[in-house]
Amino acid sequence: MFSMNSFKKYNLFVLIGTVLVLTFNACKKNIKEDEIIPEDSFDRSAMLANIGDNLIIPAYANLKISLDSLQASSNLFIANPTLSTLTKLQTIFSQTYKNYESTAAFEFGPAEDEYFRTNFNVFPCDTLQINSKISNADFILVAASDMDAKGLPAIDYLLYGSNKDNNIVLAKFTIDGHASNAKTYLAGLINELKTKCDAVNKGWSSSGGNYISAFKSTTGSDVGGSIGMLVNQLNYDLELLKNAQLGIPLGKKTLGMAQPTKVEALYSEQSLVLVAAHLKSIENIYLGRSTSDIEGLGLDDYLAHIGAQYESGSLNDAIKNKFSTAKNLLSLIPGTLTNAVIGNASIVDAAYIALQQLVILLKVDMPSALGVSITYVDNDGD
Amino acid sequence: MIYKKISRLTEHVHIAPLSLFRILFGGMMFASILRFSLKGWINELYVKPVFFFKYYGFEWVKVPNETGLYILFALIAISALFIMFGLFYRFSALVFFLTFTYAELLDKTNYLNHYYFVSIIAFLMLFLPAGKYFSLDVYFRPSKKLTHIPRWFIGVIQLQLALVYFFAGLAKLNADWLLGAQPLQIWLQAHSDMPIIGFLMDKVWIAYLFSWFGVFYDLTIVFFLLNQRTRGIAYFFVIVFHVLTAILFPIGMFPYIMIICTLIFFSASFHLGVIEKIKKFFSFLQSGNEEQVKHYVYRPFVKKFILVLMVFHFTFQLLLPFRYLLYQGNLFWTEQGYRFSWRVMLMEKNAIAYFYVTDRDTGGSGEVMMNNYLSPNQEKMMASQPDMILQYAHFLKQKYQELGMKNPKITVESYVTLNGKGSRLFINKNIDLTLLSDSFENKWWILSPYEK
Repeated sequence: MFSMNSFKKYNLFVLIGTVLVLTFNACKKNIKEDEIIPEDSFDRSAMLANIGDNLIIPAYANLKISLDSLQASSNLFIANPTLSTLTKLQTIFSQTYKNYESTAAFEFGPAEDEYFRTNFNVFPCDTLQINSKISNADFILVAASDMDAKGLPAIDYLLYGSNKDNNIVLAKFTIDGHASNAKTYLAGLINELKTKCDAVNKGWSSSGGNYISAFKSTTGSDVGGSIGMLVNQLNYDLELLKNAQLGIPLGKKTLGMAQPTKVEALYSEQSLVLVAAHLKSIENIYLGRSTSDIEGLGLDDYLAHIGAQYESGSLNDAIKNKFSTAKNLLSLIPGTLTNAVIGNASIVDAAYIALQQLVILLKVDMPSALGVSITYVDNDGD
Repeated sequence: MIYKKISRLTEHVHIAPLSLFRILFGGMMFASILRFSLKGWINELYVKPVFFFKYYGFEWVKVPNETGLYILFALIAISALFIMFGLFYRFSALVFFLTFTYAELLDKTNYLNHYYFVSIIAFLMLFLPAGKYFSLDVYFRPSKKLTHIPRWFIGVIQLQLALVYFFAGLAKLNADWLLGAQPLQIWLQAHSDMPIIGFLMDKVWIAYLFSWFGVFYDLTIVFFLLNQRTRGIAYFFVIVFHVLTAILFPIGMFPYIMIICTLIFFSASFHLGVIEKIKKFFSFLQSGNEEQVKHYVYRPFVKKFILVLMVFHFTFQLLLPFRYLLYQGNLFWTEQGYRFSWRVMLMEKNAIAYFYVTDRDTGGSGEVMMNNYLSPNQEKMMASQPDMILQYAHFLKQKYQELGMKNPKITVESYVTLNGKGSRLFINKNIDLTLLSDSFENKWWILSPYEK
């Protein structure tokens, strides 16, 4: 043991020595020029206002409009099931599914309360369960076990069937022994979605739950702050896109054995349209681009303000480029995704890899540059 | 001269600082455990996950079932309370040290420097007579009371604190911290929405100021605390510094623990004053009669034992943080020898890891569904720490073997960003991790951050 005083001197020697060693080391390395942050502040609440007012609220409003007309159209179909009312219903359904994709990344606040994702879009649906619920007149949809028998994937199955023949679909609602059960089931499915969507619209609305106000004013980057939630959910959603919409059908989780029936919207065969719509809506959030294609303040501006770097260029450019690469590669996939994962797996794989690289930039680099923590629970760090 | 210094260390001083330290430490630990369980973290961190990352050499540590976990944490809380009240002090200190350290060893995902610090302090306190004054033990058995102890009984705690600060400061002496003001530039701008001082958080010079002040503070604060003339102002800076870090960073109880612990640098008369105030507040504690001076007397064997132990402990403490020098590569990048070295809030690191499995018999390969086995937090912590990646790969091998794959090959594609530099590949992505085993040897399969 040495006394505190001699410890002090000893410590000073160590300190001086260390400073010398480190200065020497620092001189050996090539120190990059400091990245200079612009001196003016970035207006985070303006960015949140743009995203809230011009992206989130319109996205739910659009979904509500299409769900309303879906319900009206299905009422017509139920009252009078013909090929003509069926095709009209199918058209509106396609639009509804597309509109849903624009809301998928906003699973916080009101949408989180309604378990929006789970209620709307768990796929593939369980057709056996749906058929048995219909034949048993079991119209209850609230149990956890009903997850695979409801939402957009269940409607997709009911309206298109597995035979790609509208006459067979129609028969289920007309001459089938359980036709009236099928009608009730369909109406119930749509009604549930409409109720959930109405609740979320109301939750965000300034005349309802006024979540928009909290969203704009909670400007922190921490867990619970709007930017933290936005970035976390954007990434969660992008990973769902990558894994569920492309990866699983491609056989990424099954040792390379394609799972063509696990695509989203299997029966209406619009998987690729939906993937594209989904990716565009995520890009919109990043760019702060409104549903009517007007660009406002977004995460891109925030990153540019900070001056975040990636390799030799800016992180913002790298992300924008990766979005466009991924979109291009997706657009090259021919035919339906169901066929492509078998016949053109390498083309789908290229798009998948681009999405994976996009995830890396958005989930690793972006949060790190913004000081946003990627965890879904509050936690201590050291 | 050296002899004089040593005799100063063995000279007897009043026990009050040690006694009050015991009370504050126990109370603090009780509050920490209470906070931990109220936040639901017992459930979140130890009940929910199906896989736990064990420390090297501590693979035998078993995670108890839910009831067991709650009993474990209850034991920690109760023993902390007993330490605070000085009831069955030695036994309580032993129970606290063992249970707290056990909980800490359950999963290295949750490694925090301040948990390690608590374990060390608890260990040191096992050998200190902190329960012999102003405690329930002496309330019930006044004959056990001590008033004076050798100065070094207080010195060991001061020295341990000095090491924490010193190494924390030493670790900040690097180019990113001093010349780039990173990671503080990143972390501070994230707070530009703070009321009143928010606009400052966006300024580059503020990040430099904080960085340099942080280094200066860590490296010098102990000297200012030791010096009687500067102690007051130094403690003011202790409060400012740690409160600031508490506001800006999610570091839980650490700032408060440091604020409370550094009180041990104050004089015996200061501590006696505090104890008098406590006694006045709880009037039943007042004994009324003058305090009888009673000195600590060593039993010869005990003296030798404790001295040898302390020399051994502090030598170890001095060397351990330098073990990184034995490894190749940049310490912050590889994290080889990073833990247990008081490297606190030093880097902004974020990462992602994709695992791939290949059936060597059939050639089929695919990606591993991560969220099946890991919590988002475990996934994140693992992605930038090679030893955890390796552990998880071995766990996956075992899982795939259970599923009937005889010869699984596991590789990882992991990307890491450090202090705002663009993400790069972290681990050689062609290496079959199942063929490697963890050891203290250099992990050659970590890629350099500078190569493409």
